[in-house]
Amino acid sequence: MMAVYFGFILLVAFGKPLLGTLLLPGLSLGTLLGALVIVSAWVFIWIYVRWANDHYDKTVASLRERR
Amino acid sequence: MPTALGAPNFVAIAFFFVFISITLGITYWAARRTRTAEHFYAAGRSITGFQNGLALAGDYMSAASFLGIAGLVATAGFDGLIYSIGFLVGWPIVMFLIAEPLRNLGKYTFSDVVAYRLEGPRVWVAAAFGTLAVVSFYLIAQMVGAGNLIKLLFGIPYEWAVALVGVVMLAYVLFGGMIATTWVQIVKAVLLLTGATMLAGLVLLKFDMNPLALFAAAAARYGDEVLAPGQLVKNPLEAVSLGLALMFGTAGLPHILMRFYTVPNARTARTSVSYAIGFIGFFYLLTFILGFGAMVLVGRETIQGIDKGGNMAAPLLAEALGGTGFLGFICAVAFATILAVVAGLTLSGAAALSHDLWVNVVRKGHAPEHEQLRVARGATMLLGISSIALGIAFKGQNVAFMVGLAFAIAASANFPALVLSVFWRPFTTRGAQASMLVGTLSALILISLSPTIWVQMLGRPVALFPLANPGLVTIPLAFVTGIVVSLLAPEARADEAFPAMQDRLHLGAN
Repeated sequence: MMAVYFGFILLVAFGKPLLGTLLLPGLSLGTLLGALVIVSAWVFIWIYVRWANDHYDKTVASLRERR
Repeated sequence: MPTALGAPNFVAIAFFFVFISITLGITYWAARRTRTAEHFYAAGRSITGFQNGLALAGDYMSAASFLGIAGLVATAGFDGLIYSIGFLVGWPIVMFLIAEPLRNLGKYTFSDVVAYRLEGPRVWVAAAFGTLAVVSFYLIAQMVGAGNLIKLLFGIPYEWAVALVGVVMLAYVLFGGMIATTWVQIVKAVLLLTGATMLAGLVLLKFDMNPLALFAAAAARYGDEVLAPGQLVKNPLEAVSLGLALMFGTAGLPHILMRFYTVPNARTARTSVSYAIGFIGFFYLLTFILGFGAMVLVGRETIQGIDKGGNMAAPLLAEALGGTGFLGFICAVAFATILAVVAGLTLSGAAALSHDLWVNVVRKGHAPEHEQLRVARGATMLLGISSIALGIAFKGQNVAFMVGLAFAIAASANFPALVLSVFWRPFTTRGAQASMLVGTLSALILISLSPTIWVQMLGRPVALFPLANPGLVTIPLAFVTGIVVSLLAPEARADEAFPAMQDRLHLGAN
């Protein structure tokens, strides 16, 4: 997540003309990547919650039983 | 374009009274359920994941997000989006590092977690200092913003607007504690998401439901550069520094952290963050549409003619698309937004004063239940009255930098101490104390030497410190201070308590 976001921020800082490139009329690379940063946050969280609910909680539950 | 903004708007006043009566009804209901300190600070730990997700969204999305960012996008184009995105990206950090350990280790405040295996009153004092610094600056910014906005929206005098917000917020927190605050935040989040979705829907109807047609219309009217990074973040270091403060600041905001104690267990804390990120991300995606919509359909000149900062972009857009009635609804939503955020802030500040300082420092952790509740309510009164006084005292000042300051202190004072305490075994009491004090003071000092104060407010040609956001310096400084001080003087007790803390971090209290 940090890599995605700071990648975006560094592009904002150093790649201004690049981000202004128009991919389609009305769609600049910057706007697209910006929206994708938000979507990527959703994806990371979804993966984490899946993992935590399926694996982490089970491990914790078995540890708790052993005590 | 003539506007009804600032004139008494009957629809707005009607919505406003409906909102006030519903929320005061909730407060009455909540007050009868608030009998212990656990009810007052943590809503009896009875909030569900979905409810807490909405309440987190309601606690976090301030008027600065709704009116400020929409205005920023409308006037500066793409640069406004940097803020939209920055305000979201802290949430995965909250999820991965903070939410579950906090729920398993703490009781009412984030100081509980920092102090978990450390000793004595010094940690509590330092942590409460960090909390109060963040809460004060955030509250001043919100109160001054509230005064200005309500004056623009409803046409009532600034002082009355500040006092009104303060008194209604006090009623929620004082009588209904966290239960009422939670439900006010839930109602607000639903209203804000509904209002923003309706507004964005009306904008897109004008562009065949195609956002790209909207962006293209913006570029056609104001040039392609509205879709590219521009002048707002000139200096690359500034961009990185702002990004750091927004990202780690979210994970150090006391009023957000406190919400994780309102759910029954760590798993629900996790669920609530995932809902919160869903709602908040959706909202910030809508700000793209709202901002560019206002730019095209209202026009930059009109927006800046009414308020230089562009804060009225969203209400003006509502008026252009849905007439005076919809304008009234959006104004009432903005008002609800402010109330929910200041209630959350006041409650977390009151918890720092009463739970951290009174119960844990003055009474060494032993205070009877009725005394805890009484002190918490006293602290709420004190904070409520001082926030009204400060709001009036700062009338006419440019306080936008105070939100940045609050995020910078949260990122450099609270976040490093929290992370080191939970994940780094050699961390010591002195290390925590030094890290929190250095984080708070360095953020305060560097901001007071920054271009925001020296160039914009004092009118000097150059500032003593080049960055408006000090995060790039202060966050690493707080981490290094905590680590060096801990390594110089190891603390056996904190070290020995680490494994037991790790157990509880994963397994919870029982």
